[in-house]
Parts: sequence; C-alpha cells; structure tokens
Amino acid sequence: MDGINALIDGFGTALTPVNLLYAVIGVVLGTAIGVLPGIGPAMTIALLLPLTLRLEATQAFIMFAGIYYGGMYGGSTTSILLNTPGESASVITAIEGNKMAKRGRGAAALATAAIGSFIAGTIGTLGLALLAPEIVKLAIKLGAPDKFAIMLLAFIAVTTVLGSSKIRGLASLGIGLLIGTIGIDRSAGGQQRLTLGIPQLADGIDVVVVAVGLFAVGEALWVAAHLRRGHAEVVKVDGARMGREDWRRSWKPWLRGTAIGFPFGAIPAGGAEIPTFLSYALERKLSKHPEEFGHGAIEGVAGPEATNNASAAGGLVPLLTLGIPTTATAAVMLGAFQSYGIDPGPRLLSDHADLVWALIASLFIGNTILLALNLPLATVWAKLLNIPRPYLYSGILFFASIGAYATNTSAFDLWLLLIIGILGFFMRRYGLPVVPAIIGIILGPVAEYQLRQALQISDGQLSGLVNTPFSVTVYVIAVILVVAPVVIDRIRSSRAGDGDGDGTHHVPHLTPQSANQEGQ
Amino acid sequence: MAIVVGYVPRPEGQAALDRAIEEATLRGTRLVVLNVSRGDALVDPRYASAADWDAVKAKLDASGVEHEVAQAIEARDPADQLLRVAEETNAELIVIGLRRRTPVGKLIMGSAAQTVLLEAEAPVLAVKAPKE
Amino acid sequence: MSSTPTATATQKEGRSEYGVALLLLVLGGWAIVDGLSLTDTASRGPVSAKTMPIVVGVLLVAMAVLLVIDLARGGRGEAEGGEDVDLSHGSDWRTIGLLVGAFVANALLIERVGWPISGAILFFGTTFALGARHYVRMALISILLSVGSWYLFFLGLDIKLPVGLLKGIL
Repeated sequence: MDGINALIDGFGTALTPVNLLYAVIGVVLGTAIGVLPGIGPAMTIALLLPLTLRLEATQAFIMFAGIYYGGMYGGSTTSILLNTPGESASVITAIEGNKMAKRGRGAAALATAAIGSFIAGTIGTLGLALLAPEIVKLAIKLGAPDKFAIMLLAFIAVTTVLGSSKIRGLASLGIGLLIGTIGIDRSAGGQQRLTLGIPQLADGIDVVVVAVGLFAVGEALWVAAHLRRGHAEVVKVDGARMGREDWRRSWKPWLRGTAIGFPFGAIPAGGAEIPTFLSYALERKLSKHPEEFGHGAIEGVAGPEATNNASAAGGLVPLLTLGIPTTATAAVMLGAFQSYGIDPGPRLLSDHADLVWALIASLFIGNTILLALNLPLATVWAKLLNIPRPYLYSGILFFASIGAYATNTSAFDLWLLLIIGILGFFMRRYGLPVVPAIIGIILGPVAEYQLRQALQISDGQLSGLVNTPFSVTVYVIAVILVVAPVVIDRIRSSRAGDGDGDGTHHVPHLTPQSANQEGQ
Repeated sequence: MAIVVGYVPRPEGQAALDRAIEEATLRGTRLVVLNVSRGDALVDPRYASAADWDAVKAKLDASGVEHEVAQAIEARDPADQLLRVAEETNAELIVIGLRRRTPVGKLIMGSAAQTVLLEAEAPVLAVKAPKE
Repeated sequence: MSSTPTATATQKEGRSEYGVALLLLVLGGWAIVDGLSLTDTASRGPVSAKTMPIVVGVLLVAMAVLLVIDLARGGRGEAEGGEDVDLSHGSDWRTIGLLVGAFVANALLIERVGWPISGAILFFGTTFALGARHYVRMALISILLSVGSWYLFFLGLDIKLPVGLLKGIL
C-alpha cells in the first residue's frame, strides 16, 4: 500500500494554489481544444511544449494531465452536440449521443457522458496508482534484453494494430526511426549520422520540432487542403437532466466500460476505438431496450464514454512504468519527459517519485474539475465552434512556428518544421499512420541503446537477446500479433472466397478510417 | 420586380422578415427570402436550422404573399450573395436586419450590412430588432 | 475501402502513390550509404554506429518494394479523415502553396524584421490563404497576436524572440 501513501504526498504537491491553477488551466484548455474541430490533445500538448519547458517539470505535467482528460471530454461534448465524425475514440458516442440530443435528451446525454467519464477516470486513475508500483517492482529487474524486447513489441504492436495497412505502418515506423537516428551517436564513437554535414543537425532534431511538425503543421496543412465547407447543426441542449431511470440504466455500463477500457489502454497499442466498440456491442447485447440502440440509447453513451476515459487512464500505465507510449498523446508526453531530461521507464517512479505522484494526483483533481466545469458549461464550449476555420488553422500554424523557433531560437528549426510538416501532410494523404513515426522517433534511440547493451553483455552472441524467460515471452506475443491477423484473414477470405492483398481489408465499423488520427 | 430580404435566425432577422412581409403585402410584390453563409466555421448561428427554416416558410405561407426562399452555403461574402440575388430579381427593395453596435465594434467586426448599404442599386431598408 | 479501387479518379491518384515508394527507397538508400560510410571504431559488441542506419535503411527499402507490390495489386493508402476534412474533392494545392509561402516568408524574415512583424505576416498570410477576406479584422488580429506573443514570451517566459525593426519601440 505504499502507493497510497505516495499518492497522498502527491495530493500535497498538486493541491498547492499554483499547481491547482495549472490543473485548472490544463483542464479548461484541454476541453476547449477537444471541442474545437481538428485539434486533438496530442497537438495541444505538442504546441504547448515550448511554452512549458520554462516551467518546473511538475507544473508542466500537472497541466498535461488536465489536457489529457479535458481533451477527451471535449471531444465527446462535440460529438453529442453535433453529429460530426470526430476523434476516433468518440465515434461511438456520436452515434447514440447525438440521437439522444435530437430527441431532446441532450442534457441527459451530456450528463451520463460526464459522470461516466468521471467515474471511469477516477477508477482508472486509482488502478494506475495501485498497479504502477507493482509493475515497476517487476520492471526494475528487467535487463537490457528484456527492455529491447518490449520496445520491439511496441513497434510491432503499433504498426500492426493501428491503421489498416501493415506495410504503410512499418514504412511510417521506418521514417520515424530514420529521423530518430539523425545526429551524433553518443553511445558509440560519437560520429555524426545522417546529418548531411549540416551542423544544426549534429544534436539531432529536437523532439518538440518533430512533434509540432507532424501533429500541428502536418495536420493543419492536411485539413487546409480539404477544408470542409458548410455546417453541422448544433442541437440545443434542453430537456430533463438525468432522471432516476437514466441513473438506473447508466451505472452498470459505466462500470463495465471502465472494466473494458482500462486493460485495453494498458496494453501497448491498445488505442481507444476497439474497446469503445466492444463496450457498445456489449451494452447493446445486455440492454433491456435493444430497440432503442441506433435511436439514442443512454447505455450506448454511458458505456463507450466510460471505456474511452478508462483506456486513457490505462494508457498511462505503460508510459509511466515502462516508458512505452501507446497513443499519440502518450508519445508526445514521453517526448516532454525527454525534453526535461527525465527518462521514463522503470526508474521513473523511484527517481522522480514526487513528479509521478503529483501527476497522478492531478489526474484525480483534473477529473473532478472537469465534472464540476463541464456540466454547466457545455453550451459555452459549443460557442467555440463559431470560430471561422481560417482563424483556427492560422492560429495553429502561428503557434507552431513561434514554438519551434523558441525551442532553440533559430530560424533553422522553422525550415525543419516546414519539411516535417510537409512530410506529415503526405503521410496523411497516402495513408501512412503518424503514430508509428512519432513512436519510432522517440523510442528508436532508446531501443538502439538497449540492443547495444544487451549484445555487449552477451559478447555479441545473438542468444543474449533471448536468454531471459521474460524476453522470450515478449517475442512470442510479438509473433502472435503478427501471425494472428494473417491467419484470421486467411480463414476469413477462404470462407468469403476472395484472396486479397496483405490483409488491407477489415471490418468496416470496427476500424474507422480515422484509426491513425491522433485520437486521444 | 421583387423585394429581397436577408434573413438570419436572430431578433433582427426576424424583424427584417416581418417588415419585408408587410412591404410585400402593401406593394403586392413577390418576396425573396435569402439565408446564406460562407460556411467557414463548423457552426454558424446565422445559418438557419431546418426547424427554423420551416418556421420561416410557414410564416410566409400564412401571410399569403407570393414568395421564394433560398438557402445557400457559398465561399463568397454573404453580402455579395444578397446583392447578386437582388440584381438578378431586379429588386425594388432590399430589406436587411441590423444589429445594435458601437462604432468601434463596427470597425473591428466589419459588416455585411455596410456592404449592402454601400453597393446596392436598389433602395435598402434597414430594420433593427425591437428593444427589449 | 483501401483495397477496392473504384473510379478512374482513384486510379489516377494511385499512380502518385508510387512516389511514396520512391521516397522510401531514397530515404532507405541514403540511410544505408550513410551507415556504410561510418567507421566502427570505439564500439564494443556487434552493434556499432553503423548498425542502426543500415537496419533502418533496409527496412525502408523493403517497405518500398512491398508497397510497389501492394500498389500493383490494387492496394491504396487510405487518406485520413477528420472532423473538418472533406475528402470528396481533391487536395487544394493553391491553398497549400499560399500557406507554405506565408510560412517561408516568416522563416526568411523573422531574424531580419523581427517576430512582431514576420509573425503578423504569417498570420495574415495564412488566414488569407484559408479564405478569410475581412482585411481589417485580419490585420488587427495578426498584429495583436504577434505583438502579444512577443510580450508573452519576453515577460512571461524570458525568451527573447527577435525584435528586429521594432527595436526600441517594444
């Protein structure tokens, strides 16, 4: 139970007036951003990185915690008020939530989403607080071969589970690894690699520039090239709040959603769309009112919303214990840790215990603030949707530029930003998912280091990579991840009688085309 | 000949519509009701919702004036669209709703009303929402 | 779905996807050549400075080849959707060109005329590129943002963005 004591200390840190202020700023900013079309939490944190680098690490992460949960919540508010194909994690919410709102049950839909998110977020964060120290106890014993195996698993998982094409996922990972290799190789000989003789590249490309370039500039260019005209209709929020019947129908989906979301978030490459879909399917099956599904069933909002938030909490488990990000937002947060010179991984919890527990405590606080703020403010948030698109996307490019410049106060970074932004544009254009690239950039150098360590210990014997039961297990899982979809595909296509490429076809509703979006 | 009215789902738009119906009844002319938007924001409160637009149509039907309604999302300025329709229909009168604004607010926000007033060939009737 | 090309338009789009394969090939080739040019002094064990670039290069080249095979068999990259993305029409290259232009102008000007001016040009240029035409409003917001952010960075974060021509005024 040492986790609980540490958590109480964390609350002590997070509840000081200044830190509380950062939590509120984070939550408000995160929600606003989540409501705005086209901006996700990953982009928000990327854009804020240059600003926060002057803050104390604890304060920055308290703010990021707020953005992390706030962004998720903002996304679901818009999908209830407008029927837009939003972030991948709130696609399901839009189905039932918007229908409820149109039937005049908007207030109840928003309430069940808010309370469900709160409950799932709180239980999920508690799960994180209890689980993290236990996982660290195991993880601290892991050696270089084990760590390398985990990273390889993360690479494989993120490329095979996300997105619809493995080739494009791996190509994206390759591009990420390539960018991550640029610069002086510090651990072996100190030679410059892939720098083209450009002195500014000797230190490598700043992770801030990469994150801002891929997520902000790339996204803004992509949206600008395909700017939607026309409007979505905002549904007026009126009607009764949650009644007794709504509560009765919501509480089980909340808890079931939490139970589904947390583990999915915690495994590398979980993502949120698969568990939210599962929760939706489950609620539909268990509901006493299956006929209401598709016409605004409250269970169909309560379950997936809870799942969504629980999986966000779960996603922090591998991030804080192993240094493995499972979503774009987590990847950018990992980049933020690195910018502070903090190495997330098994030692994080012992070396920077204050920071981690303050972060976890502020997740609880942020969740509570969200519940307090959002129920009354939903219609105010909807006003943000009136901002004309030109100003919105110009704002993104403006803050991206200022941030990239401020990182090293050098115009060279602006050119890099543009190049990476254009790369991000073409990746979106040709269906190369962005998440494997950012994970490759961040984990590539770490993986190289662990591989080198492992093989030095074993004196160059490749068997040194598989000499622990843990690493063998991880490789087996990795192989299953690669082989299972192919086998399933074969069986399915032999039944359907059409042989098809590399398994690019998939279940239509399960992986919406936004699967590689920076959903959460 | 026709009367063209720019409608927005707000008090001043409502006032403009009411006044335009009155004028059309008096003059016995056709009324063209226009609701346009640039479509550059995800949500535009000046663009009438389906329900709101139905209410406008019902009101027109009830008034008995000969009328035509058009709703459009176009990249060009709403004022330009209104002016173009006025020209095409050879309008004898354009009716627009005016928001109450300070001179400074006017300077920053620009205004469709100003463009219409400055550029219209036909006489323009500007109507404000009744004070609460 | 990605594997079923339908109209001729998608087929035409498909041809440009070979460009992606070419890019991967070039990047991979570069990584391999660069990796081979490194010396592996001062490293113990089989993982020298060369290893990573070569492995990544081989991965990229392999993906280039597989992508070509996939494309030849009719595979297509799925363009990314989103709340504000309308994929029913093609990419608007004029807007992209103007945006990149505004961006380049800022990169060229920032150290010469300073952020308060280059940033304003950036914002004004990008809003123009994206279709805003309220020039007075655009100019006011641009100047407010660029000067405001300069002060925010200077006073709040102690980062001195280039002040350029406005030296002494701000």
